[in-house]
Amino acid sequence: MTTAALVHVIVSGLATGSVYALMALSLVIIYNATRTLNFAQGEMLMISTFVAWSVQQAFALPLLVTLPVAVLAAAAVALVFERLVIRRAIGATHWDVLIITLGLSLALRAVAGLAWSHDEFPFPSFFPSRPIALGPVRVAPVSLGIIGASLALMLALAALFRWTRLGRAMRAVSQNQRAARLMGISVERVYSLAWVLAAVVGAIAGVLVAPVIFLSSKMGLIVINGFTAAVLGGFGSMPGAVLGGMLLGVLENLAPLYLPSGIRYSVPFIVLIAILLVRPAGLLGRVEPRKV
Amino acid sequence: MRSLMSSLVAVLILGASSPATAQQGVTEREIVLGCSNSFSGPLAFTGEQATKFGVDLYLKVVNDAGGIHGRRVRTVYYDDGYKPQDAVANTRKLVEQDRIFAVIAPQGTPPVVATLEYLEENRVPLLFPFQGSPVTRGRKYVFSGMTLYDRQAKMMIDYLAGQRKYRTFGVLYQDDEYGKAFLTAFEKDLGRHNLKLAAAESVKRGASDVSAQIAKLQAARPQVTFLVLTPGPGAQALKERQKIGWTDTVMVSSGPLTDERYLALAADAAEGVEGLSLWPDPLTSDLPGVKAYRAAMQKYFGKNEPNRYSLSGYFAAMLFTEGARRAGKTLTRESLVTALEGIKGWDSGILPPITIGPDHETQRQGFWVRVEKGRFKQLTDWLTSD
Amino acid sequence: MRARWALVALGALLAAWPWLAPRYFVFLASLILVNAVVALGLNLLSGYTNQLSFGHAGFLAIGAYTAALLTLHAPAVPVVATLAAAGALTAVVGLAFGVPCLRLSGLYLAMATLAFGFVITEAILNLDGLTRGADGLRVPVARLGGWALATDTARYYLVAGVTVLLVAAAANLARTRTGRALLAIRESEIAAQASGVPVARYKTIAFGVSAFYTGVAGGLFAFIVGFLSPDAFDVFMSVDFVVMIIVGGLGSVPGSIVGAAVVTVLHDSLAGFQNYRPLIFGVILVACMLFMPGGIAGFGARLARR
Repeated sequence: MTTAALVHVIVSGLATGSVYALMALSLVIIYNATRTLNFAQGEMLMISTFVAWSVQQAFALPLLVTLPVAVLAAAAVALVFERLVIRRAIGATHWDVLIITLGLSLALRAVAGLAWSHDEFPFPSFFPSRPIALGPVRVAPVSLGIIGASLALMLALAALFRWTRLGRAMRAVSQNQRAARLMGISVERVYSLAWVLAAVVGAIAGVLVAPVIFLSSKMGLIVINGFTAAVLGGFGSMPGAVLGGMLLGVLENLAPLYLPSGIRYSVPFIVLIAILLVRPAGLLGRVEPRKV
Repeated sequence: MRSLMSSLVAVLILGASSPATAQQGVTEREIVLGCSNSFSGPLAFTGEQATKFGVDLYLKVVNDAGGIHGRRVRTVYYDDGYKPQDAVANTRKLVEQDRIFAVIAPQGTPPVVATLEYLEENRVPLLFPFQGSPVTRGRKYVFSGMTLYDRQAKMMIDYLAGQRKYRTFGVLYQDDEYGKAFLTAFEKDLGRHNLKLAAAESVKRGASDVSAQIAKLQAARPQVTFLVLTPGPGAQALKERQKIGWTDTVMVSSGPLTDERYLALAADAAEGVEGLSLWPDPLTSDLPGVKAYRAAMQKYFGKNEPNRYSLSGYFAAMLFTEGARRAGKTLTRESLVTALEGIKGWDSGILPPITIGPDHETQRQGFWVRVEKGRFKQLTDWLTSD
Repeated sequence: MRARWALVALGALLAAWPWLAPRYFVFLASLILVNAVVALGLNLLSGYTNQLSFGHAGFLAIGAYTAALLTLHAPAVPVVATLAAAGALTAVVGLAFGVPCLRLSGLYLAMATLAFGFVITEAILNLDGLTRGADGLRVPVARLGGWALATDTARYYLVAGVTVLLVAAAANLARTRTGRALLAIRESEIAAQASGVPVARYKTIAFGVSAFYTGVAGGLFAFIVGFLSPDAFDVFMSVDFVVMIIVGGLGSVPGSIVGAAVVTVLHDSLAGFQNYRPLIFGVILVACMLFMPGGIAGFGARLARR
């Protein structure tokens, strides 16, 4: 394996890894605010990407339009679902919400199949397809584009959480819900906003990754990679989600080169089991003592 | 409690009251056909096209003209998602609950091969499956629906090694009966030319990422790389080799893969790709049968684009209709089999004249194509596989 | 008193079914009973000890392939022993998995089971020298003594017999010490631990027994279905089992059976509407959690109280 080929593979891995990182971030955003896992995160990503694609194709709009359309679609789905369904279950245990989001993911997948069929569709790429030569190394522009766009989004999120009121409110709710409420923060609004923000991040991830993996109703399965990435980095930690995502992407790309090629699809599951058994807190997380 | 009992009784009466006809699936007014096919998963597009826009398209024409000896033909389809276990379960449901006369145009080598034994035990005809495993050759109730894989491989190798004088070959194949049938056939046919495969990489069925396999194949530097895949990974293979800049190999698609479908998915990465086409170009051919197919598609499914998958389903229904017509008013499974076996030199207007012998192969044809500007250009006449 | 008559009537219907129903419905009844056993096993784990599993299709696959391969390579072994072996092997794998997972809490455990289910099917796929991998495995006919169970009716009676035994065992569980311990854990793990219940041990037992049940069900499944391929034992099958116990009612034995029947019949009757099936199941799940969290069993209990 030449160095040039290796670099190419690692860069590809960082690109898919960035998408996993975004997926992980959206899961963590919802979890931190509401203490529930949204099983349907992947399907929401898939639906918003499909909507954006349909709009762009139907009205022959410039490709860049897909981004804001996906974001709007995602925000709409998230808001509707959070208000109509999750809000009702606000007193329920986390099990119940998990099962509810599981039901939502099944339903969304079926709806996508009905609206667009279960076929796969080519999604036009923002970036040219001919590889760029950096010295002896060949890199695909789409990989660099995904990495760049994802990093920009991650920085924007970091800024949001650190410097805006909304971000501080979300951090407060995730640390201690009761105290936050006593301080005058509307926990319900933070819930809604967490769902919307997570969906928006997912939508951007979807538009970035669709040209690489084809648009199809099974795109939602990427949520498993996202969850593994989040756990790998330390579930609940945002820098952990980014680190976990990048690492998982590279691992997925390197494994089939040195091991039988079929191992690629087992990598997230093997990594997940390994981390949960060896170090459930992940790379950057802290072990939380269980409160009685 | 009482309502529970009465609904149970209702279920039993309904279930047990299936009329005892002389031949299952054939009544005075209708013939029932069906299959388990892919409407989700890697072959969702091809499955839907072959059945709903292929078989059903031709049957619409037939039914509108009065049917076969006054009987309309109805179809029932179930989705197996390219999974053999589900294909067997669906097929059993079709035979035992929907009481079909025959299975027509199911898809996929592993799912179809999985149902072979059950269908044989129950003496249900398996007509024109969209797959070409040699395992299906020469069985009493099975008639092939595609040039079988060993014939395809022979045509491909004889053309590339014999006519075009290529020496080194690699193959990217699906890791199941579909891919392995081709792999074995390639090795055998290369042996006849005193050649060997330079490299072989496999892809799991349902997987779409082939970057590692393409990298490993490139390292072996074959002049020709065969793609024995489904449209998704096939397109990914083309895109991946473009990404890494691997230009000095000719990518060649297997028969079932050769269709505009995977070209559309691969976009500009498909330029210069070659393959064995089993069907005439559905969009441009002016063979009379293909023109009739286009006219029917325009009339009934105006928005659906013609492709080789729906053409193959259309042809399957056409061949069934020919056999059923010849079998006459007393249509039984046996009389259908006999009628089909009697087809000699029949001109469908789509393929070269069909003669069905004891091996029950309905097709032996193929010709070479190359992609130019996003469309397949015919390079040779019909190749021979004998 | 009414309950006893109902049980007798049910038993009579069960015994007479193959004489009343056409061939396909006999097969469907067998499938319902097999799914009921899986639902019982899953309920033991999830309904009692709150360890939600999204990987039970993996256990089913182990049981199915074990039974199929045993019958293929050692046809002299009587089918009851084969089923027991399938259950035992699955239980061993379940314990091997359950023990390290003891310290994982709900969400992590659920995802770990999901990963586990996938790893199992991948392993079966890759051991293709033994299992025939992606091409699938034909299951040979089961033999009971010298008698080949070659018809749907014969297999139905095998399934019904085994199911009745396992259901009775599960129903009696509630009266034993183990059953009471499990119920205590379900109500509050912390309180149970504080009262001296060795929680870790019982959670492990639950894992093992749940896997055993599902393994035996897997063996039965292999015989009635006749053909196996690893790609059919996917996460969606595991989700189907979860739907069964949610709809039927967590922690309820009759609920498991009713849930299994509802989901199996719905699954089969929607075969022509496969595009709508996951939508309907998803809506059922959501509606159940919002409006009927106790499932059908909970609903029935409320009705009975009136």
